Amino acid sequence: MNKTISLVAALMMVSGSVAAQTFDEAFNAQRGMNGKGHSFTFEGQSYTTDHPEEVAAAAPANVANATNLLADAKAQYAKALEVDFGWTLTKGLLASADKALQAGEFRKSMELSARAQYHSRMGVAQYHQSQQEWLMAVPN
Amino acid sequence: MKIIKSLLAGASIALVASITQAATSGNTLASVDPEADRLALQSFFQKRFPQVPVDDYVNGIYALDSGSRAQWEEIEEFPPYEFDVEEGEVLFNTPFANGKSYADCFANEGVGIRQNFPRWDDSQGKIVTLESAINQCREANGEKKLGWKKGKIAQISAYMAYTSRGNVFDVKIPNDGAKAAYLDGKQSFYTRRGQLNMSCANCHVAGSNVLIRADLPGPALGHVTHFPVFRSKWGNLGTLQRRYAGCQSNVRGVSQKAQGEKLSNLEFFQTYMSNGLEVNGPGARK
Ligand code: HEC
Repeated sequence: MNKTISLVAALMMVSGSVAAQTFDEAFNAQRGMNGKGHSFTFEGQSYTTDHPEEVAAAAPANVANATNLLADAKAQYAKALEVDFGWTLTKGLLASADKALQAGEFRKSMELSARAQYHSRMGVAQYHQSQQEWLMAVPN
Repeated sequence: MKIIKSLLAGASIALVASITQAATSGNTLASVDPEADRLALQSFFQKRFPQVPVDDYVNGIYALDSGSRAQWEEIEEFPPYEFDVEEGEVLFNTPFANGKSYADCFANEGVGIRQNFPRWDDSQGKIVTLESAINQCREANGEKKLGWKKGKIAQISAYMAYTSRGNVFDVKIPNDGAKAAYLDGKQSFYTRRGQLNMSCANCHVAGSNVLIRADLPGPALGHVTHFPVFRSKWGNLGTLQRRYAGCQSNVRGVSQKAQGEKLSNLEFFQTYMSNGLEVNGPGARK
């Protein structure tokens, strides 16, 4: 258990924050601390800690919204695969979202699609971030 | 579950933060210096585990974790891969339908050559691992390709490794094509993937011998020397790239294709890192 904690510590130590916070950094920190549905201010503006996908999932639950959201989520997954940064749970989420949509469970379907879309957006972000950062992890 | 959450928290914090220190061996063809990389990785492990001789890294996690070493040594007394090596020898020596055999495809008739793989092949413009050379040999002789991850290909590879035991890994980077493949493999090794946002290096460099859930990742140095491996968890023998795919999906990332360019470049990089260590495959693992 102690060993696990020190791995997390080691991961954090590799990274030391230098520049001023970007919006993404502020968002992630607020989200990490407070979860969703929380408000915060960044450079004088007010924001919430909801991901865009969560906002989309909160739209009225109907066949049109559920269908669109699933299509968006599939398109985003294709982008993640294109850069070779797909996550493993996404495919199952999409399949379940599809099933829920067929069954007329629109709210459930939208929530699943939103999660799938979020995974894929993060996968693509991870790809871009890794291009910048991988070299810094090399021992020398 | 708690631990997964704390890992995720650590990972997402790390994703937020930017990183300060830069390596001297770079990320371009002009600046990357494989030999400096190899020595730096060795010295990282020597500083981290000063009591472990470099040659012992061929034993993976058992070089670091004395707790499981005794148990492993007991397993190696009656090695679970013994039959696979014998089976591999039979397969290796069985002629193809056209009368030729594997021996015709390899230097020194395929005996004692494990240490030279993977190798850069100029005419194909790509890295050729031992397993892909085995399948290329089959295809050149009108036989069907074998599956990449286990079964016959692993057995043949195990036999070829067995005949190479004690030889020293000596993977070469003869030109810029090879260097580009090396660099790509290096990047893969240090790139975070999957929902857990972890790189190979997070676990097998910084995290080596650090408990992750119930598992202790071993050191990257020596990773390749004992493959293919008979893994108790698999209940059979598997190739290095089978293991790669497993580690990639363990961090909840979609794994890359066995013997595709990405994983073969990764294997090339990892093998270069183990240059100077002895072939001791096949091995047995938990
Ligand atoms: C979440 C941590 C983690 C990550 C990330 C990870 N691995 Fe592993 N890996 C393990 C554990 C745990 C084992 C089993 C213990 C051992 O032998 O190291 C293992 C085993 C291995 C082995 C077999 C070692 C042996 O001695 O037989 C290889 C090779 C390997 N990993 C390579 C990789 C590569 C390459 C990557 C990146 C694509 C990677 N791993 C990513 C945790 C990880």
